[in-house]
Amino acid sequence: MSDEVVDVLIVGAGAAGAAMAWSLSDTRMKIVCLEQGGWMNPAEYPSTQSDWELRQFGDFGLSPNGRGRPEDYPINDSGSPIAISNFNAVGGSTILYAAHFPRFHPGDFKVRTLDGVADDWPIDYDRLEPYYEQNAQMMGVAGLAGDPAYPHKELPLPPVSLGKLGHTLAGGFNKLGWHWWPSDSAIATVPHNGRAQCINLGPCLTGCAQGAKGSTDVTYWPAAVRQGVELRTHCRVREITVDENDMADGVIYYDADGVEHKQRAEIVIVGCNGVGTPRLLLNSRSRAFPDGIANRSGLVGRNLMFHPYAMVQGVFDERLEGFKGPMGCCIVSQEFYETDPARGFLRGYSYEITRGMGPVGTALSGMSSGEIPWGAGHHEAYAERFDRNAGMVAICEDLPEPHNRVTLDSELVDSNGIPAPRIEYRLSENSQKMLEHCMARGREVLRAAGAHSTTAQGPLPFAGWHLMGTARMGTDPAASVVNEWGRSHDVRNLFIVDGSIFVTAAAVNPTNTIQALALYVADSIKERLANLFD
Amino acid sequence: MSQAESDSGFSRAQERALACVLDEIIPPSEDGRFPGAGELGLVSYVGERAADLVPMIVQGLSSLDELASGRGAADFAALPRGERRGVLEELTAREAGFLPLLLFHTFSGYYQQPPVLEALGLEARPPFPEGHEVEPNDHALLDPVRERGPVYRS
Repeated sequence: MSDEVVDVLIVGAGAAGAAMAWSLSDTRMKIVCLEQGGWMNPAEYPSTQSDWELRQFGDFGLSPNGRGRPEDYPINDSGSPIAISNFNAVGGSTILYAAHFPRFHPGDFKVRTLDGVADDWPIDYDRLEPYYEQNAQMMGVAGLAGDPAYPHKELPLPPVSLGKLGHTLAGGFNKLGWHWWPSDSAIATVPHNGRAQCINLGPCLTGCAQGAKGSTDVTYWPAAVRQGVELRTHCRVREITVDENDMADGVIYYDADGVEHKQRAEIVIVGCNGVGTPRLLLNSRSRAFPDGIANRSGLVGRNLMFHPYAMVQGVFDERLEGFKGPMGCCIVSQEFYETDPARGFLRGYSYEITRGMGPVGTALSGMSSGEIPWGAGHHEAYAERFDRNAGMVAICEDLPEPHNRVTLDSELVDSNGIPAPRIEYRLSENSQKMLEHCMARGREVLRAAGAHSTTAQGPLPFAGWHLMGTARMGTDPAASVVNEWGRSHDVRNLFIVDGSIFVTAAAVNPTNTIQALALYVADSIKERLANLFD
Repeated sequence: MSQAESDSGFSRAQERALACVLDEIIPPSEDGRFPGAGELGLVSYVGERAADLVPMIVQGLSSLDELASGRGAADFAALPRGERRGVLEELTAREAGFLPLLLFHTFSGYYQQPPVLEALGLEARPPFPEGHEVEPNDHALLDPVRERGPVYRS
């Protein structure tokens, strides 16, 4: 075991850990990041092979339980209608994300004030805005200024290609008079910071072989490493340890060979997101913290929020070239984003047009739905659907509820014997009503765009992509886990910087806000270095 | 009839029987543009992708032969084309996993094959490194959205 005490120890090299490491690196402090995964090799991503559509069911699958890479840890999500999706590597889940990169709305930070539910955040949009802008430069965000669903914002890169499919669906939104706009996307649509530009490969959700997608292994990490941050891969942290003053003094972790190490640190920062972070905190038990470190409020693991998703699809007469272009980024609609009590639910949702399916995806989707038979009639049914399918998802705002939570499983452990997380989650009546609304309205807009048949499904059982709320931010130590700048109320040198500190979930993808928060917390640390632990 | 295993993991006889099954799952198109899955050579693909389940497939093929003999044919391949689907459905009632397994691998394997992709009007290649050309954006479509003004609460 090393006796070296580093200044800053970051756990997790995903969206938040990368932004935090890069921002703190200009202090010249000794910074070490421990990541249980390794560096990905883009030359091995599925889009380089003819079976590119199939590997989303194998080694690039969404669920760590099915994927089973050595870097993964199991998750007992049998108690949830929505399964957990994540990825463990340098870059974390940004390796597989769609790079859809919206900001929260100003109103998303004051839900209690506006709608009388959930809680207000202790910070507001204006506080995060400069960090959204900083993050846009680092991640390389493409988009179009002037979106009337937001305050004015400039984005550094031109928007992604809408393609024939995007233009067709835009026509449907226009016909109904509904809002739509090109998606804000962390995709280099022109060369940016050494990254090649997007060439419309399509399958962003299994890694970007071109390097155009803004996963943090190609954005923050190269810059952070150049500036002296030490990134140790294949290191799985078991627990955060505390000293006699109830301050964090480091972590215990296992290396790739299963050898146990202790790494001491002055500051510990956790960025393992909404399931990994509470798992680590709950596994960090001591005399001072018998229920897990930073958990005197009892809220670590509680208030788990997903974004319940619905998928709406339509079949058109003409070919749409839907497999060309970034899979998850095309156009977005926030027509139903803000609360309208007449709809029967509070808060709202976004639509994200997800383009169409490739040849194999069309076949397998048609097989499972029964629309493409085997035997007689196969070719005719396939021809009616291939490249004539357009899809969209609705991303619904979840509300925090204490009974939705992450705990430790009493039996399941990972390959190092560390207790695995267990998910308990029930879909609320509000979310269920919202799902019904978005499926009905989604079919309506697809028909307006020209679809001759439509289908809808929700909640999507595999879509636990966004994991939030399990170590929430707030000013009251009895009602939150971290303060308004990310520091644990209970442990003054322990910080959390991922989706777990979200107070509410909004109805947009969280990565941009996760990273803006990380940059904001990093600046908060830098501004207070002289009296950080007071 | 040789029982020697080929590279596919099946004996030659089993390969022929499996090819017949695959041709039932995706038959040749009537216009001749699309080959049947069996004649396309997907047997070896199935053997590779479902290597762990070859014994289950072999058992299913054996059962198909039994059912065919009950209909007076020497084996499944000897059945008239019009009777094969009925026998496959009859087997599904007894061995529920056999047909879904083959459907998955046949559907997913067939639409990766270069002759099929070319018949669909596609280039037979993975997305990378060439990528795709996409038509330029028409942002004039946003005019009515802009004219409506802000739609968010501050």
